[in-house]
Amino acid sequence: MRELAELAEARAALEPDRVIAALAGAFELWRAPGSAWRAQLAREHGVYSPQVVDVGIVAALADWTADVLARLRARELRAPFASPRVTAVWLAGSIPPAAFSAIALPLLTGSALYVKPASADPLSARLFAASLREVDPGVAAAVRIGSDAKALEECDAVIAHGSDETIAAIRARIGVGRPFVGYGHKVSLAAIGAGVDPVSAAQKLARDVALWDGRGCLSPAWALVSDSPRGRAAEVARALAAAFEELEETLPRGELVPAESAELLELRARAAVREGTRLELAAGASSWTVVLEGGEVRPPAGTLRFLSVVPVNDLDGVARFCAPLAPHLSCVGHAGFGSEVPRLASLAVDAGASRLCALGRMQLPPLDWNHDGQGPLRPLVRWLDVEP
Amino acid sequence: MTRAEIERAVLAWIAEGVDAPADDARFESLALPLFRLQYERGAAYRRLCDVFSVDPRRVRRWQDVPAVPTGAFKEARIAIFPPEATVRTFRTSGSTTDARGALHLDTLALYDASLLATFGAFLCPERERIRFLVLAPSAAEAPDSSLSYMFERAIGAFGTPDSRFCVQAGEWDPDTLCAELAGLRAPVLLTGTAFAFVHLLDRLEARGETLALPKGTRVMETGGFKGRSRELTREALHGSISARLGMPRARIVNQYGMCELGSQFYEPSLRTGTATDVKFVPPWVRTRAIDPATLEDVAPGEAGVLVHFDLANTGSALAVMTSDLGVLVDGGFRVLGRLRGAEARGCSIAADALLDPARAAP
Repeated sequence: MRELAELAEARAALEPDRVIAALAGAFELWRAPGSAWRAQLAREHGVYSPQVVDVGIVAALADWTADVLARLRARELRAPFASPRVTAVWLAGSIPPAAFSAIALPLLTGSALYVKPASADPLSARLFAASLREVDPGVAAAVRIGSDAKALEECDAVIAHGSDETIAAIRARIGVGRPFVGYGHKVSLAAIGAGVDPVSAAQKLARDVALWDGRGCLSPAWALVSDSPRGRAAEVARALAAAFEELEETLPRGELVPAESAELLELRARAAVREGTRLELAAGASSWTVVLEGGEVRPPAGTLRFLSVVPVNDLDGVARFCAPLAPHLSCVGHAGFGSEVPRLASLAVDAGASRLCALGRMQLPPLDWNHDGQGPLRPLVRWLDVEP
Repeated sequence: MTRAEIERAVLAWIAEGVDAPADDARFESLALPLFRLQYERGAAYRRLCDVFSVDPRRVRRWQDVPAVPTGAFKEARIAIFPPEATVRTFRTSGSTTDARGALHLDTLALYDASLLATFGAFLCPERERIRFLVLAPSAAEAPDSSLSYMFERAIGAFGTPDSRFCVQAGEWDPDTLCAELAGLRAPVLLTGTAFAFVHLLDRLEARGETLALPKGTRVMETGGFKGRSRELTREALHGSISARLGMPRARIVNQYGMCELGSQFYEPSLRTGTATDVKFVPPWVRTRAIDPATLEDVAPGEAGVLVHFDLANTGSALAVMTSDLGVLVDGGFRVLGRLRGAEARGCSIAADALLDPARAAP
């Protein structure tokens, strides 16, 4: 591919400070009040409502600064190391900040990028690359958006996002000898302890679900709620329903395709027939669903603003719920556990989680988050150990 | 109407065969009482209707009977009789019991009647007995497989004594079968799951063999691939079967069935002599293609989610919503593929994946 040779040449512009400045500048363009980039994506994205895109990007990029980029680079990359000349980045999903970081991070290693956008979101990567061009055309020249699968064979390294099947297929295609980083689909959950006001916890949780409509791997698919005193989980479920209803105005859900409507219908029906459940539904619409489970069960993972509230007695209940989720658990958002947070962290890591955060911040992963438990830059580079 | 009265009426209709008139008034006269009965006696189904604010007294058309999505059969016992009255339970294929849907039956009368009426009409229209070679385990080996049960009953009704199940103790020897097929002098009914056919075809290819099965032979494949072989489209599978086994396309039939339904759907290719991918809907069944957002019928010729209303489902739920996308055509429907939900446009794992160890494995 001739494009790859051009990208390798453009790599000369990828001096660390210059890349950091360019990325930080691009992030600033996106989060600035009245950002034209954000407005265009909000208007044209198609999967989410304009409000969700607008609010979600501002919130996610709030702390994506030059300092964070510099610290991350210093933390992960110490010379001497070799980065790939060109990395193929295969995107999946539809969440814009995930596409932005998927481009920013490998660029920070000094590798040029050939990026294939996700089929569900062809726009985010393209617009981010264009915004980078506005800040620094030299750095942006090291990023090419395309869809030629030959890049998987010819790039020096590959980063792939997607389902387990997709990751396995690409991994098999890459073979050995080149760095390959696969980010499979994951699932997350919220855990609410006894030491938090149910209404405030429900509001934060509803926002974590509403941003990106519950589609993301960081979107809580269940809420495990301490039911002590008894009835507290029901209180959270009611407050959650009220919070979702309020968000209908400010963060409305995006349009669904028929297969998604069918999935929601099925999720609702499954919850309805399960003994002991109580459902709260958006009036006359599918826009949100809260299910209060009758006991400590594991209902299907929620999505599309469908959330099951599972009452648990204590942290042991949380542990029982989480343990079988490994290796697919990603993030645990929590509130109200007080001094028990270290134990929650311990059981979350045992269950495969790579992120424990406060409720209300589940959709705001730091740029330097160890995504899936691995450093965001290190797996791409080859180190040289220089012995004394 | 009592359940017994409904069942007698449905059995009488089935006895008239697949060519009986598909009388809508007759269908509705049985569907509505059956729905009300299922609402009254089926606790789980009643919960579903109540959540969706369906008042059975206000349901006046069979189309308005709330459908149970197949996934709901994984969550609760969808039945109108007590567990101790169960005579047979069929389960969907899967790796764990908790992730498998189940159809509980307290009588096999309607199930058998529907099964034999359609199987006979579409695979043994000459009504002469034929030798079955079944690429699946027997019902004794797989007691909760509706497919194995169907084959067993079909062999009883239409098979010769030397019919056999080629999968035994969970294993089969494709080389033995290849040799057997190569040596056939009389027609057979070769049937089984789609993935078993893929394995057979791969084996024949590896052996470099192309067969010409005896005139009168017919093939029926069903059940999809379930990750157990490479996947082929129906067109490709039938093409390969035709080429590798020397079979005219019109003698290769796809059966579309599901564990949650008492009736099955067949392509009438063998019966009519013309290959088709249209699934025939028996007179005692109705199929809608709906928009899942509105639950209304899609426009004619448009793709929608297939929902089946099967009068043979007296003990469970009359209306079952599938995860299949299809289009209604004269005489039946075409299946266009499986629905892919939120996972297709997101990065969270689909609802059921975490309940299935086969997918959860690292």
